[in-house]
Amino acid sequence: MAATDRKDDATPRAWTPGSFTLAALALPGVMAAPAVAEGVPETAFVAAKVQAYNDWQPGLDRIKVIAPSMYVLAPFAGTWSIESTLVHDSISGASPRWHTSISGASRMKDERTAVDVKVMRYFDRWSVGLRGSNSTENDYRSNAVALEARVSSADNNTTWVAGAGVTRDTINPVNELVVNEKKSVTDLMLGVTQTWTKNDLLQANLSYVRGRGYFNDPYKLADIRPRSRDQTVALLRWNHFIEGDNAMLAGSTVRSSYRYYSDTFGVRAHTAQLEWVKPISDRFSVIPSARYYTQGAASFYFDPVYDPVIGEPFPVGNPRYFSPDTRLSAYGAITLGAKVEWRIDQRWTTDVKYERYEQRSGWRLGGNGSPGLARFSAQFLQLGISRRF
Amino acid sequence: MTISASPLDYGVQFVAMASDCEVRLAGVAAARAQTLAALAIAEVQRIETKYSRYRTDSVVSRINVASGNGASIGIDAETAQLLAFATQLFALSDGLFDATSGVLRQVWDFKTGRKPSPAQLKAVLPRIGWSHVQWNEQTARLMQPGMELDFGGFGKEYAADRAATLLAEEGVQHGLVNLGGDIRVIGPQADGSPWLMGIRDPREAREARKARAARPEGAVIASIPISAGALATSGDYERFFIADGERFCHILNPKTGWPAQHWQSISVIAPICVAAGAMATTAMLKGPDALAFLQGQDVSYLAIDADGQILRSD
Repeated sequence: MAATDRKDDATPRAWTPGSFTLAALALPGVMAAPAVAEGVPETAFVAAKVQAYNDWQPGLDRIKVIAPSMYVLAPFAGTWSIESTLVHDSISGASPRWHTSISGASRMKDERTAVDVKVMRYFDRWSVGLRGSNSTENDYRSNAVALEARVSSADNNTTWVAGAGVTRDTINPVNELVVNEKKSVTDLMLGVTQTWTKNDLLQANLSYVRGRGYFNDPYKLADIRPRSRDQTVALLRWNHFIEGDNAMLAGSTVRSSYRYYSDTFGVRAHTAQLEWVKPISDRFSVIPSARYYTQGAASFYFDPVYDPVIGEPFPVGNPRYFSPDTRLSAYGAITLGAKVEWRIDQRWTTDVKYERYEQRSGWRLGGNGSPGLARFSAQFLQLGISRRF
Repeated sequence: MTISASPLDYGVQFVAMASDCEVRLAGVAAARAQTLAALAIAEVQRIETKYSRYRTDSVVSRINVASGNGASIGIDAETAQLLAFATQLFALSDGLFDATSGVLRQVWDFKTGRKPSPAQLKAVLPRIGWSHVQWNEQTARLMQPGMELDFGGFGKEYAADRAATLLAEEGVQHGLVNLGGDIRVIGPQADGSPWLMGIRDPREAREARKARAARPEGAVIASIPISAGALATSGDYERFFIADGERFCHILNPKTGWPAQHWQSISVIAPICVAAGAMATTAMLKGPDALAFLQGQDVSYLAIDADGQILRSD
């Protein structure tokens, strides 16, 4: 008859690995990553980036932005982490043609400094985070706080996230059109990330944003918008890792996403994005990307059609709300880009990213684009370097 | 491949590496269990195909065919890591665990039950020796003609570890992978209680074992509860013959060419199956020093000595 062990469980509780076990541990794929509190970053991470952006319309160079930024992520006290981003933007250039109160493409210069700090506390299967941020320009100040909670299923295949935040903005335009105007925004977010197969990750996020206050552009001659804007955003993501024998595709990852946007200004927008993460060697990856965006105009957007009598465009009739802001017009846009990542060694990584953006009213899908708008182009270059500790 | 199941407890039986194998999964739905088991079995088959010395296209066969002719065979990262592991096993076992000792099979014939002559042993021993294996991250070659590399001493254990780790990374929390008695546990049974591992009675007659195939617990001499880690057993009963009242088994000392005779079987419980198996085999060959060796490795064990007495770690 079987002699059952006197102990309930012979499983060693605290292993002091012997030399044979240590040798075996060096083999690939024989030990799953150790279970620690959910998602605590293992090492500190510091990144520095410089982003350069400029946009133009036919015959007119518009805005240039240079934005250096620093990012720090550091674990502390075992189950905490702190994350911080510091960005400084310098913006110079001309505001858009047709749509400025100062005709003839006025020159502008502005600077913005933004700080964002997030503290996370990790528990066994869940984590909570508190984020505070501040952004200051000479005519615009914004403060925000947000709370976020994440829970993972016992098998770690599903992660739910819920977040809520409040933003308070103060607007003091240099032309003193308004003084100490306010805007306050409350947002709620729910999301779920699901490991579908070992090669597929699905994510769905739903956000509702409720905004009240001053939404006008004080630098536009005719711009009166509702004092409330509620936004609904739905986002679906699918990341797929490709296996198999195909030398070109195997080992690469396709990231795709779709985003639906709707607001009470009447804007409806769709974004589809595709990225392909292709490792070229152990150290190099290239990531080409393409994005298509299409939106319908806000209900109070008016077309910038010059009138032979009154000259500069002005809304027809006597509407309650009106805006000539091109960002509220109907258009489509395509962004093509590529990023190259170079992992110099275990600690250092550097990357270069370039994106080219073009916006045309004729590219809108499922309806006409707004008339009278010139093509709008932009490019974006980012250099980054990061180090793990 | 057959599937036996009680609600939320699935066992998928299959044959691989010339052994009866099982993937056991608890606490997952039927459809998911089948997908997961297929994943684990595919990994076992991948390792079998890649390292089997019976397949002429395996990397091991290609290295063996080129033995002594100076040609280096290209190897991948996984093979290089296994060679590194074999190198360490050779050093840690003081030369008792040698992945080139497979050529001893040529002089030990367990089917006919004949002992090799001293001349035969003397002829084969020079073709054994890990020091004659030259390898780096990209290539490997055997320096003596007629040498053979054989991953059989840890291939099954390695496959059990890989398959179980794959399942753990897929989110499986309750289950185990059993490849012919080399067992890697993913996690306890669905209710949290440990799995009961039976240790086979080394002296049960073969016929009785066959008759009890439908009731395998009948052949068990001891049971060990485990909820994590691995269990591997090395015994003198898998392949052996008896001549002049002496028992000669397939666990052969690469230095002398002679079988281990001190123990009937040694089972080792360790975090990783490939370590447990290597320690069990090394302990069999250590003879009277086996238990001191296992205690030094800080692992649990169950050893059955030549008289059938059970000795276990406390």
